[in-house]
Amino acid sequence: MDPLVASLKVSASGLEAQSTRIRIVSENLANARSTGDTPGADPYRRKTITFVSELDRASGVSLVEIERLGVDEGDFSAEFDPGNPAADEKGMVKLPNVNVLVEMADMREANRSYDANLQSIRQSRDLISATIDLLRTSQ
Amino acid sequence: MQPIQFFELASKQAEWLSLRQGVVAGNIANVNTPGYRAKDITPFQSVLQNAGTRMAATNPAHFTEPAMSNNVTETKPTDEIGVQVSGNTVGLAEELMKQGQVKRDYELNAGLVKSFHRMMLMTVRT
Repeated sequence: MDPLVASLKVSASGLEAQSTRIRIVSENLANARSTGDTPGADPYRRKTITFVSELDRASGVSLVEIERLGVDEGDFSAEFDPGNPAADEKGMVKLPNVNVLVEMADMREANRSYDANLQSIRQSRDLISATIDLLRTSQ
Repeated sequence: MQPIQFFELASKQAEWLSLRQGVVAGNIANVNTPGYRAKDITPFQSVLQNAGTRMAATNPAHFTEPAMSNNVTETKPTDEIGVQVSGNTVGLAEELMKQGQVKRDYELNAGLVKSFHRMMLMTVRT
Protein backbone atom coordinates (compact mmCIF):
# COMPACT_ATOMS: atom_id res chain seq x y z
CA MET A 1 0.00 0.00 0.00
CA ASP A 2 1.22 3.45 -0.80
CA PRO A 3 2.67 5.02 2.38
CA LEU A 4 0.72 8.24 1.90
CA VAL A 5 -2.57 6.37 1.54
CA ALA A 6 -1.57 4.32 4.60
CA SER A 7 -0.99 7.51 6.59
CA LEU A 8 -4.46 8.73 5.59
CA LYS A 9 -5.78 5.45 6.96
CA VAL A 10 -3.92 5.86 10.25
CA SER A 11 -5.18 9.40 10.73
CA ALA A 12 -8.71 8.28 9.94
CA SER A 13 -8.44 5.63 12.65
CA GLY A 14 -7.28 8.36 15.03
CA LEU A 15 -10.27 10.52 14.11
CA GLU A 16 -12.62 7.64 14.77
CA ALA A 17 -11.06 6.83 18.13
CA GLN A 18 -11.15 10.45 19.28
CA SER A 19 -14.72 10.98 18.14
CA THR A 20 -15.84 7.90 20.07
CA ARG A 21 -14.05 9.40 23.06
CA ILE A 22 -15.97 12.65 22.62
CA ARG A 23 -19.17 10.60 22.43
CA ILE A 24 -18.37 8.91 25.76
CA VAL A 25 -17.56 12.28 27.34
CA SER A 26 -20.89 13.69 26.14
CA GLU A 27 -22.74 10.67 27.53
CA ASN A 28 -21.07 11.23 30.90
CA LEU A 29 -21.83 14.95 30.87
CA ALA A 30 -25.44 14.43 29.81
CA ASN A 31 -25.96 11.91 32.60
CA ALA A 32 -24.10 13.88 35.27
CA ARG A 33 -27.28 14.08 37.36
CA SER A 34 -29.09 10.89 36.30
CA THR A 35 -30.24 9.14 39.46
CA GLY A 36 -31.96 5.77 39.74
CA ASP A 37 -35.76 5.51 39.81
CA THR A 38 -36.42 3.14 42.73
CA PRO A 39 -35.55 3.89 46.38
CA GLY A 40 -31.84 3.31 47.03
CA ALA A 41 -31.15 2.44 43.36
CA ASP A 42 -27.70 3.06 41.87
CA PRO A 43 -27.43 6.07 39.58
CA TYR A 44 -25.60 6.34 36.23
CA ARG A 45 -22.04 5.03 36.35
CA ARG A 46 -19.34 7.01 34.55
CA LYS A 47 -18.12 5.35 31.34
CA THR A 48 -14.46 5.15 30.35
CA ILE A 49 -12.66 4.41 27.10
CA THR A 50 -9.19 2.96 26.43
CA PHE A 51 -7.25 2.90 23.20
CA VAL A 52 -4.82 0.30 21.92
CA SER A 53 -2.32 0.50 19.09
CA GLU A 54 -2.75 -2.18 16.45
CA LEU A 55 -0.34 -3.01 13.64
CA ASP A 56 -2.08 -3.06 10.27
CA ARG A 57 -0.35 -5.89 8.41
CA ALA A 58 -1.42 -4.70 4.95
CA SER A 59 0.34 -1.34 5.28
CA GLY A 60 2.75 -1.87 8.20
CA VAL A 61 1.57 1.16 10.16
CA SER A 62 0.16 1.26 13.67
CA LEU A 63 -3.53 2.08 13.66
CA VAL A 64 -5.33 3.09 16.83
CA GLU A 65 -8.32 1.05 17.90
CA ILE A 66 -10.73 1.21 20.81
CA GLU A 67 -9.66 -1.45 23.27
CA ARG A 68 -12.79 -1.43 25.36
CA LEU A 69 -15.48 0.74 26.85
CA GLY A 70 -15.49 0.27 30.60
CA VAL A 71 -17.18 1.77 33.60
CA ASP A 72 -15.64 3.77 36.41
CA GLU A 73 -15.98 1.77 39.63
CA GLY A 74 -15.53 4.87 41.78
CA ASP A 75 -17.84 5.70 44.70
CA PHE A 76 -21.08 7.58 44.25
CA SER A 77 -21.69 10.77 46.11
CA ALA A 78 -24.91 11.20 48.07
CA GLU A 79 -27.20 14.15 48.52
CA PHE A 80 -30.13 14.79 50.84
CA ASP A 81 -33.23 15.02 48.64
CA PRO A 82 -36.26 13.25 50.20
CA GLY A 83 -38.56 14.15 47.33
CA ASN A 84 -36.54 12.19 44.78
CA PRO A 85 -37.97 8.77 43.74
CA ALA A 86 -34.49 7.28 44.30
CA ALA A 87 -34.25 8.54 47.91
CA ASP A 88 -33.68 5.81 50.51
CA GLU A 89 -35.34 5.73 53.94
CA LYS A 90 -32.97 8.43 55.24
CA GLY A 91 -33.81 10.70 52.31
CA MET A 92 -30.37 10.34 50.72
CA VAL A 93 -30.07 10.07 46.91
CA LYS A 94 -26.99 8.55 45.25
CA LEU A 95 -25.57 10.73 42.49
CA PRO A 96 -23.42 9.57 39.52
CA ASN A 97 -19.64 9.44 39.97
CA VAL A 98 -19.17 11.94 37.14
CA ASN A 99 -16.88 14.90 37.77
CA VAL A 100 -17.80 17.57 35.26
CA LEU A 101 -14.37 19.21 35.44
CA VAL A 102 -12.62 15.94 34.62
CA GLU A 103 -14.99 15.40 31.70
CA MET A 104 -14.35 18.89 30.35
CA ALA A 105 -10.58 18.36 30.53
CA ASP A 106 -10.97 15.03 28.77
CA MET A 107 -13.10 16.63 26.07
CA ARG A 108 -10.54 19.34 25.49
CA GLU A 109 -7.76 16.80 25.13
CA ALA A 110 -9.85 14.76 22.70
CA ASN A 111 -10.46 17.94 20.71
CA ARG A 112 -6.74 18.69 20.49
CA SER A 113 -5.96 15.17 19.33
CA TYR A 114 -8.77 15.33 16.78
CA ASP A 115 -7.34 18.58 15.41
CA ALA A 116 -3.86 17.07 15.17
CA ASN A 117 -5.22 14.10 13.20
CA LEU A 118 -7.12 16.43 10.88
CA GLN A 119 -3.94 18.40 10.30
CA SER A 120 -2.10 15.23 9.42
CA ILE A 121 -4.82 14.20 6.93
CA ARG A 122 -4.59 17.63 5.35
CA GLN A 123 -0.84 17.28 5.05
CA SER A 124 -0.97 13.79 3.49
CA ARG A 125 -3.47 15.14 0.99
CA ASP A 126 -1.16 18.05 0.17
CA LEU A 127 1.76 15.68 -0.41
CA ILE A 128 -0.35 13.54 -2.73
CA SER A 129 -1.43 16.56 -4.73
CA ALA A 130 2.17 17.80 -4.92
CA THR A 131 3.00 14.48 -6.58
CA ILE A 132 0.05 14.66 -8.95
CA ASP A 133 1.04 18.23 -9.85
CA LEU A 134 4.22 16.81 -11.38
CA LEU A 135 2.07 15.48 -14.20
CA ARG A 136 0.56 18.86 -14.92
CA THR A 137 2.44 20.40 -17.78
CA SER A 138 3.57 23.85 -16.78
CA GLN A 139 4.36 25.86 -19.85
CA MET B 1 26.14 10.39 -22.06
CA GLN B 2 26.08 10.27 -18.30
CA PRO B 3 22.78 8.88 -17.03
CA ILE B 4 20.87 11.39 -15.00
CA GLN B 5 21.00 10.19 -11.40
CA PHE B 6 18.84 12.94 -10.09
CA PHE B 7 15.45 11.36 -10.74
CA GLU B 8 16.43 8.14 -8.97
CA LEU B 9 17.64 10.07 -5.96
CA ALA B 10 14.54 12.25 -5.95
CA SER B 11 12.14 9.31 -6.09
CA LYS B 12 14.07 7.62 -3.30
CA GLN B 13 13.75 10.71 -1.16
CA ALA B 14 10.05 11.02 -1.98
CA GLU B 15 9.56 7.41 -0.90
CA TRP B 16 11.44 8.03 2.32
CA LEU B 17 9.44 11.19 3.02
CA SER B 18 6.11 9.47 2.47
CA LEU B 19 7.15 6.62 4.77
CA ARG B 20 8.09 9.20 7.39
CA GLN B 21 4.73 10.90 6.94
CA GLY B 22 3.08 7.53 7.64
CA VAL B 23 5.14 7.01 10.79
CA VAL B 24 4.44 10.53 12.09
CA ALA B 25 0.72 10.13 11.33
CA GLY B 26 0.82 6.89 13.34
CA ASN B 27 2.40 8.71 16.27
CA ILE B 28 -0.23 11.44 16.15
CA ALA B 29 -3.08 8.95 15.93
CA ASN B 30 -1.69 7.09 18.95
CA VAL B 31 -1.14 10.22 21.04
CA ASN B 32 -3.56 8.94 23.71
CA THR B 33 -2.79 5.21 23.49
CA PRO B 34 -1.45 3.81 26.78
CA GLY B 35 1.99 2.23 26.47
CA TYR B 36 2.63 3.50 22.92
CA ARG B 37 6.23 4.52 22.22
CA ALA B 38 6.87 7.23 19.63
CA LYS B 39 8.53 5.93 16.47
CA ASP B 40 10.70 7.46 13.81
CA ILE B 41 12.47 6.34 10.65
CA THR B 42 16.25 6.28 10.15
CA PRO B 43 17.59 9.50 8.59
CA PHE B 44 17.70 9.67 4.81
CA GLN B 45 21.45 10.10 4.79
CA SER B 46 22.14 6.77 6.48
CA VAL B 47 19.51 5.08 4.28
CA LEU B 48 21.51 6.23 1.25
CA GLN B 49 24.80 5.07 2.72
CA ASN B 50 23.48 1.63 3.59
CA ALA B 51 21.86 1.09 0.21
CA GLY B 52 24.17 -1.75 -0.77
CA THR B 53 23.30 -4.96 -2.57
CA ARG B 54 19.75 -6.17 -2.20
CA MET B 55 18.23 -9.59 -2.66
CA ALA B 56 17.02 -10.17 -6.20
CA ALA B 57 13.65 -11.71 -6.97
CA THR B 58 13.81 -13.86 -10.08
CA ASN B 59 10.57 -15.67 -9.35
CA PRO B 60 7.24 -14.20 -8.22
CA ALA B 61 7.29 -16.53 -5.20
CA HIS B 62 10.55 -15.06 -3.91
CA PHE B 63 10.51 -12.88 -0.87
CA THR B 64 12.47 -9.66 -0.98
CA GLU B 65 12.83 -7.19 1.82
CA PRO B 66 10.76 -4.10 1.23
CA ALA B 67 12.87 -1.11 0.29
CA MET B 68 12.78 1.00 3.43
CA SER B 69 9.98 -0.18 5.64
CA ASN B 70 12.18 -1.96 8.19
CA ASN B 71 13.89 1.24 9.22
CA VAL B 72 11.25 2.27 11.72
CA THR B 73 12.56 2.38 15.28
CA GLU B 74 11.31 3.62 18.60
CA THR B 75 12.69 7.01 19.57
CA LYS B 76 14.01 7.95 22.97
CA PRO B 77 11.59 9.87 25.21
CA THR B 78 12.02 13.57 24.54
CA ASP B 79 12.23 16.51 26.89
CA GLU B 80 8.83 17.74 25.79
CA ILE B 81 6.76 15.28 27.83
CA GLY B 82 9.13 12.40 28.63
CA VAL B 83 7.25 9.23 29.49
CA GLN B 84 3.70 9.89 30.59
CA VAL B 85 1.99 7.97 33.40
CA SER B 86 0.24 5.89 30.76
CA GLY B 87 3.61 4.87 29.27
CA ASN B 88 3.10 7.02 26.17
CA THR B 89 6.04 9.02 24.78
CA VAL B 90 4.43 10.97 21.92
CA GLY B 91 5.00 14.73 22.10
CA LEU B 92 2.36 16.35 19.92
CA ALA B 93 4.31 19.56 19.25
CA GLU B 94 7.34 17.63 18.10
CA GLU B 95 5.32 15.41 15.79
CA LEU B 96 3.68 18.45 14.21
CA MET B 97 7.14 19.96 13.72
CA LYS B 98 8.31 16.78 12.00
CA GLN B 99 5.28 16.99 9.75
CA GLY B 100 6.25 20.52 8.79
CA GLN B 101 9.74 19.29 7.92
CA VAL B 102 8.33 16.47 5.80
CA LYS B 103 6.09 18.89 3.95
CA ARG B 104 8.87 21.38 3.23
CA ASP B 105 11.21 18.66 1.99
CA TYR B 106 8.53 17.03 -0.12
CA GLU B 107 7.60 20.28 -1.78
CA LEU B 108 11.25 21.07 -2.47
CA ASN B 109 11.62 17.60 -3.93
CA ALA B 110 8.55 17.93 -6.17
CA GLY B 111 9.61 21.39 -7.27
CA LEU B 112 13.09 20.19 -8.20
CA VAL B 113 11.74 17.24 -10.15
CA LYS B 114 9.42 19.58 -11.98
CA SER B 115 12.15 22.01 -12.94
CA PHE B 116 14.53 19.23 -14.02
CA HIS B 117 11.75 17.84 -16.13
CA ARG B 118 11.23 21.24 -17.72
CA MET B 119 14.95 21.51 -18.44
CA MET B 120 14.94 18.13 -20.14
CA LEU B 121 11.92 19.09 -22.21
CA MET B 122 13.74 22.24 -23.23
CA THR B 123 16.63 20.24 -24.68
CA VAL B 124 14.23 17.91 -26.48
CA ARG B 125 12.29 20.74 -28.11
CA THR B 126 15.18 22.69 -29.56
